Amino acid sequence: MTGTTVALDPNRNVPGVTQPGFSNTVRAEWIKFWSVRSTIWSVVAMVVLGAGLTALVTGTSAEWLASGEADESPAAFLTWGMMFAQITAIVLGTLVVTSEYGTGMIRATLAATPRRGAVLAAKALVLTTTLFVAGTATAFAGYFAGNAFLDAHGIGIPLDADGVLRALFGSGLYMAGLGLLAAAVGLLVRHTAAALSIVLALVFVVGTMVFLLPGAWGEWIGKLMPGNAGSPVTAVVSFNPQVLEPWPGFAVFTAEVAAVLVVAWIAFRRRDA
Amino acid sequence: MIAARGLTKTYGPKKAVDGIDFTVEPGRVTGFLGPNGAGKSTTMRMVLGLDRPTAGSVTVNGHRYQDSAAPLREVGALLEARALHPGRSARDHLRWLAVSNGIPARRVDHVLDLVGLEGVAGQRVGKFSLGMGQRLGIAVALLGDPPVVVLDEPVNGLDPEGIRWVRNLARELAAGGRTVFISSHLMSEMALTADHLLVIGRGRILADCSTSDFIAEHAASYVRVRSPQPGDVADLLLRQGLDVTRHEDDELRVQGLDAAAIGELVGKSGLFLHELTLVRSSLEDAFMTLTADSVEYSATTTTTAGTAR
Repeated sequence: MTGTTVALDPNRNVPGVTQPGFSNTVRAEWIKFWSVRSTIWSVVAMVVLGAGLTALVTGTSAEWLASGEADESPAAFLTWGMMFAQITAIVLGTLVVTSEYGTGMIRATLAATPRRGAVLAAKALVLTTTLFVAGTATAFAGYFAGNAFLDAHGIGIPLDADGVLRALFGSGLYMAGLGLLAAAVGLLVRHTAAALSIVLALVFVVGTMVFLLPGAWGEWIGKLMPGNAGSPVTAVVSFNPQVLEPWPGFAVFTAEVAAVLVVAWIAFRRRDA
Repeated sequence: MIAARGLTKTYGPKKAVDGIDFTVEPGRVTGFLGPNGAGKSTTMRMVLGLDRPTAGSVTVNGHRYQDSAAPLREVGALLEARALHPGRSARDHLRWLAVSNGIPARRVDHVLDLVGLEGVAGQRVGKFSLGMGQRLGIAVALLGDPPVVVLDEPVNGLDPEGIRWVRNLARELAAGGRTVFISSHLMSEMALTADHLLVIGRGRILADCSTSDFIAEHAASYVRVRSPQPGDVADLLLRQGLDVTRHEDDELRVQGLDAAAIGELVGKSGLFLHELTLVRSSLEDAFMTLTADSVEYSATTTTTAGTAR
């Protein structure tokens, strides 16, 4: 049994192998991403919430908005559902990372691709591409459905009106950013419930509460919170007059996401799997 | 070949792996044996670059695992049974692994056939039994047809037929010139599977030798003596400087002299003997004896007979 010490060439028995690179890592992450049901459910939920709720709220408010008594711009309602679609982006971003830690899959992932930077980059690419496409498509669907109700009451807003296309594509960008933020937090805390709680609280609870802080600095902290800075890009006209302008706000949001992502990347590289 | 030099891993004040050196050679099955908590899984995670050593190094084929461009084609590993997403099918799990390392897709079906999971390849792995999960883990290990195979507790949850299958597979892989490194806490299983043993306890290597040497060296034997006058016999033997322990009422276990000499000694003194038997300790007992001081979590009750001091 012993004695047959043959040195085996790693490439000998598997004809047709190719030297793997980053594209292999991306394709592997793509297969992983789409081969679990939570991905499909999250995307379906995004479309239903994002487009459906926009249609619902414009359908029920169109008459009031057209009556002249309204104190809100009709344009503010065209991406109304995206406020709720945010949740699905956060869920999907969290699960992409934490489901691997919850199941021990992360060890299989890092055994297959030990270059952790490549794993993180591939995950981020798959996640943001999906969320951008799904978020933008959802926003367009919501716009067409919602604007049909507004049109019926003579207050429709054409696609080429100021800020409409920016808001629709901005919705996709913001979904991608939120997903990335959730994934980064997931990488830091490695636990689904913890990561979800942190990001949902940060965006929905803390972001609203800080506006209650007194004085100019309270107002500025409010403006700079990730959810408050990032979301104006998704709205044709913002409900909240206190927030930053769309693109400056999105720049702040992007910088915040990038900062958390860098910290997560450093932790991911250093910690044991 | 796997080589560890001064490999150390500490978690806070606790040394999980304490400066170990070992080499796992190709062409034979090396059993990595130790009680739970001895440092086996920590060592294996360091081999695979998942955990970073606190000190020292471990290399596979002369380089760190992380430095391999296509690690699954160099080292195949069965990690803890459930490094799987329960919602993904067995085929999809193998598919993404194959793609990640540039392994042709037909290998997926090949290894599914090899482990006997071709009929359930489309099922979600959350529905798999422990044994099916282990088979899938072994399929993962063999996916890249690697020259080095690392299996962490591969027979856990397998039925006797599955255990025999793993044993034969390991021996075939080694016979084909591969490096096969298998961890287990079951001495009896390793005695049948491994050519070479690496025994670890409390993070230290306790033995590094061939299985047959290990058996010869560590399987201690004793002489069982039964007498209606056990107290007197024990006194007599103790006066000769022998190692005597008393079990039950009339049984003595004696080490330090062979059965014939003990019989003569007792006969000369005029005491009665009812039994005089040489007892060879089992391999499991030898393993328990060797690791007795290094068991991390031991029950408070004393272990079964056979662990003659």
